[in-house]
Amino acid sequence: MSRFERQTILPDFGHEGQQKLKAARVLVVGAGGLGCPALLHLAAAGVGTIGIADGDNISESNLNRQTLFGQQHTGRPKAETAAELLKEKYPDITFNVIPEFLNNKNALEILSGYDLVLDGSDNFGTRYMINDACMLLNKPLVMGAIYQYEGQVTVFNYGETPVNYRDLYPDPPQSHEVPNCSETGVLGVLPGLIGTLQATEAIKIISGLGKVLTNKVLFYNLKTSGFFEVAVSPNSDSEKGIPSSEDAFRSKDYNITCGLSENISWEKALDWKQNLKSSILVDIREPDEEPLLKREDIDQIPISVLAEDQERVRSFENIILFCKSGQRSDRMAGELKKQFPEKKVFSVEGGILHPASPVNSEEK
Amino acid sequence: MLAEKLPQPKFEFPYQKDSDELLKALNQEYPFLEDLKFSLAVDKQLVQEKTPLKGSEEIALLPPFSGG
Repeated sequence: MSRFERQTILPDFGHEGQQKLKAARVLVVGAGGLGCPALLHLAAAGVGTIGIADGDNISESNLNRQTLFGQQHTGRPKAETAAELLKEKYPDITFNVIPEFLNNKNALEILSGYDLVLDGSDNFGTRYMINDACMLLNKPLVMGAIYQYEGQVTVFNYGETPVNYRDLYPDPPQSHEVPNCSETGVLGVLPGLIGTLQATEAIKIISGLGKVLTNKVLFYNLKTSGFFEVAVSPNSDSEKGIPSSEDAFRSKDYNITCGLSENISWEKALDWKQNLKSSILVDIREPDEEPLLKREDIDQIPISVLAEDQERVRSFENIILFCKSGQRSDRMAGELKKQFPEKKVFSVEGGILHPASPVNSEEK
Repeated sequence: MLAEKLPQPKFEFPYQKDSDELLKALNQEYPFLEDLKFSLAVDKQLVQEKTPLKGSEEIALLPPFSGG
């Protein structure tokens, strides 16, 4: 009698399929709404080695959908807790705890130890980063994502005519194209379904079972109970967005800020200030902050003042903010955008420290 | 983010000769679309280059999701 008897007696799966699962190494990125059900089914099915990457801790509001965890786990780290709970159920499976968020500095090293990646992350920056990493390392990627009552799932970089995320959406959305990338509502059962579909595709790929969900994206609408499939072909243009080497990958910027503002380059900022009607370029650093930058086309309004009084920017249609590193300006731009939804508000990426800032480029 | 702003989850739209024209007309009719990211599918095939239309096709607007 074996734990897997009901699988091994299946005609197309058998002992061979089970053996393949046992030998497989799967990385699950994110032990959240998608990751929890996916992890549970991968482990229950008998995948031999499972990596769990998540840098977050469990909070109470996670519990409606992150079904591995319960009330007693709040405050504990997700990756470690998930591994502990699953190890208790299935002691013969190897769980690798990666207690950090994946980024373009650590991803290649981590991913290279696995045969397949399951993306259960919760932001576009990570999704594009994982897509590009899987393309560079040639790993199949099972993608799943949700928004409120809808989900999508597909398999990238697998099969005879592999496609990737950039075939679907060539570039990441700008922050203003994602109306609210902070927390939105979700009925817990939705990621349960989508994450389980992801685990299903992972198991099919590993065991060679059936027809894998590649070259098409499956959309599911919880409210209408509707499934909708869209066919996707490889598109040579999509390769343009993928870094050409591992070094290029490590130096690419995958941060998509979730402010309501849009980040722009210094080049654009200076060009727009000069050429766009009704635009103002504002240094929001406090007066004592180095290095000083005095130019005719730059207004000085410290963030402490601007937060209280928007009089000086009110009459402009395009408001471009910069600070030292781009963080405060991004936040402030988000605040201004909330107050003036009809205006365009931008934050200069990297701020004054950026190599392309006027301070750095004029010295040369 | 997209469906909830459109008049109906499904609706008819005046004929346009190709996918580029359709996108232009949609943006004109629903200006908020310009600020949203989505891909188009014509009869369940993702549009990756300009696609001629006959008028009877089923068009889908597909926003990317990031939640997990």
